[in-house]
Amino acid sequence: MSTTMAGSRSNRRRRSTWLWRVVAVAFCIVMVFPVYWMINSSFEPNSQITSLTPSFFPAHFTFHNFVDAVDRPWFWDDARNSLVIVVTAVLVVLVVAFLAAAAVARFRLWGAKAFLVLILVVQMVPTAALVIPLFLILNRAKLTDTYAGLVLTYVTLTLPFTIWMLRGFVKAVPIDLEEAAMVDGASRMGAFRRILFPLVLPGVISTGVFSFITAWNDFLYVNVIMTQNYHQTLPVWLFSFSTNTGTDYGGLMAGCVLFSLPVVVFFLFVQRRIVTGLTAGAVKG
Amino acid sequence: MAAPTVPEVASGRAERVVVPAPPYRRRSPNWRRALRRQLLPFLLVLPALVLVGGVLGYPIGQLVATSFQQLGLFQLIGHHVLWNGLTNYRQLFSDSQFYSSLEQTAVFVLATVGLTMAIGTGVALLMGRVGKVLRTVISLTMLLVWAMPSSAASIVWTWLFQAQWGVVNYVLVALGLHSFGSHDWFASQISAYSIVTAMIVWQAIPFIALSTYAALTLVPNELHEAAAVDGATPGVIFRQVTFPIIRPVFFLLTVLSIIWDGNVFNQVWYLTGGRAQVLNVMPLGVWQYIEAFATQQYGMGAAIAIVTVLILLVVTGYYIRTMVRTGEVSA
Repeated sequence: MSTTMAGSRSNRRRRSTWLWRVVAVAFCIVMVFPVYWMINSSFEPNSQITSLTPSFFPAHFTFHNFVDAVDRPWFWDDARNSLVIVVTAVLVVLVVAFLAAAAVARFRLWGAKAFLVLILVVQMVPTAALVIPLFLILNRAKLTDTYAGLVLTYVTLTLPFTIWMLRGFVKAVPIDLEEAAMVDGASRMGAFRRILFPLVLPGVISTGVFSFITAWNDFLYVNVIMTQNYHQTLPVWLFSFSTNTGTDYGGLMAGCVLFSLPVVVFFLFVQRRIVTGLTAGAVKG
Repeated sequence: MAAPTVPEVASGRAERVVVPAPPYRRRSPNWRRALRRQLLPFLLVLPALVLVGGVLGYPIGQLVATSFQQLGLFQLIGHHVLWNGLTNYRQLFSDSQFYSSLEQTAVFVLATVGLTMAIGTGVALLMGRVGKVLRTVISLTMLLVWAMPSSAASIVWTWLFQAQWGVVNYVLVALGLHSFGSHDWFASQISAYSIVTAMIVWQAIPFIALSTYAALTLVPNELHEAAAVDGATPGVIFRQVTFPIIRPVFFLLTVLSIIWDGNVFNQVWYLTGGRAQVLNVMPLGVWQYIEAFATQQYGMGAAIAIVTVLILLVVTGYYIRTMVRTGEVSA
């Protein structure tokens, strides 16, 4: 009796394990499908794309869309602008945010709590509403249509969230290590640089990914701040595929692949760190 | 400044004998050192303060001021400042579009945040259930979706739901639903909203799922086992053991999701291809943009933005207060 009961229970457990596996696989297929479809379409000739029976794998494999996409005007300019502006902005924002996060997490700083809540409130302001006033002050500082103006914009827009995340990572590192270094004669800044920074590096990297994506994606601000064609970034280029005469879907999908590629590579490169980083950042809040 | 004294520490060698304090320290008077100690944290936050205050604070102040002005293209070009007090707000509250947009935003946020948190937490729990291989597959899927920039994602989703050649219609017809041949998904408000919701949920799941999973790994296994031995059902274990531990993460993610989805603009704008107004797919963020840019009533647009922020503050206020009180925001 008891053996049959145990048997049926383990049977039930095995069945539920299988159920969860099926759910997991089905879920992954649904989630990944849009990404797969983008890649699939990018390798198909337009005649195949606009046929009434789509094929679920690139039967008429071609690189034509990619060659076309890269040949479009401004691709290389926009790619260079995107990379230079976004990478600079991310580096600057990480330095500024790390210093602020260390100060807020490590010192009894007057008004720190208010500062943090204020930063969260700033997040609530719709970014589209700030385009004009931001343009006006950049214009007054003669920074419109310059790299510096856009870098400054991205640094500022990503700063609040970056400080919030980094603060969590800093708090997760026990202060004892820095104190030990200071007992041994290190200055506060020396301890930050040599002890704290290496320890929160995973957090810094995963936070950097966030700011990278935000800046990489922006279409609204670059469109207003940059006026010259050769100063635009890749999102602007991406929207040039749709014209009044119709959309070149093959080229557009190839463009989307090219546009997503740097982010995906960056992500896969640091993926383990992102996940471990999130634990520290989110849980130790 | 501390460079000469630190190598011993950094290299971790055992020679932690007495390191003589650098001479300049001994000479500097006490008050100066105290001042420097007070000054340092301030100096560290200073760049962030200048940026947030200067580059972000000024536009936000400007936004608030603009909401009390009549600012059209004429005033913008001529640099006229025409204060009109509460006129924009009065107009806003008497506009039936405001109530429509408010209702749309509320329903939309409820749907998106509810779905992302439910599915995201579900996926996190699922990741704990399956084996290592499937867990890696799920993580990779999440990373792939997450890494896709939202402008590219919007474009791909319009392509999926394209009326003539979109794969979704093709599959539906193949499944026998012939009415979906050339079905235009962006022809009605409800349908357009459903697709925007689906896409936003799709994009947001990875962040929620991976963060929640990371939090879940902190729940000691012994707790689950002990509860199971005591005869607790999975539902009870989740509510009484698992959830209390991931609650801080859950709160923070909910607040962030409400803020992000409450301000939704980009995805709606790209997916509807500028037809948002015709379809009345106008959550507050989109309406604000249309008022400010399409009709060039910047004052009115600013007023809408301010009201949106106030509403979000009221909605998330409870969570933020809880976070502050439970020490989540303790500095």
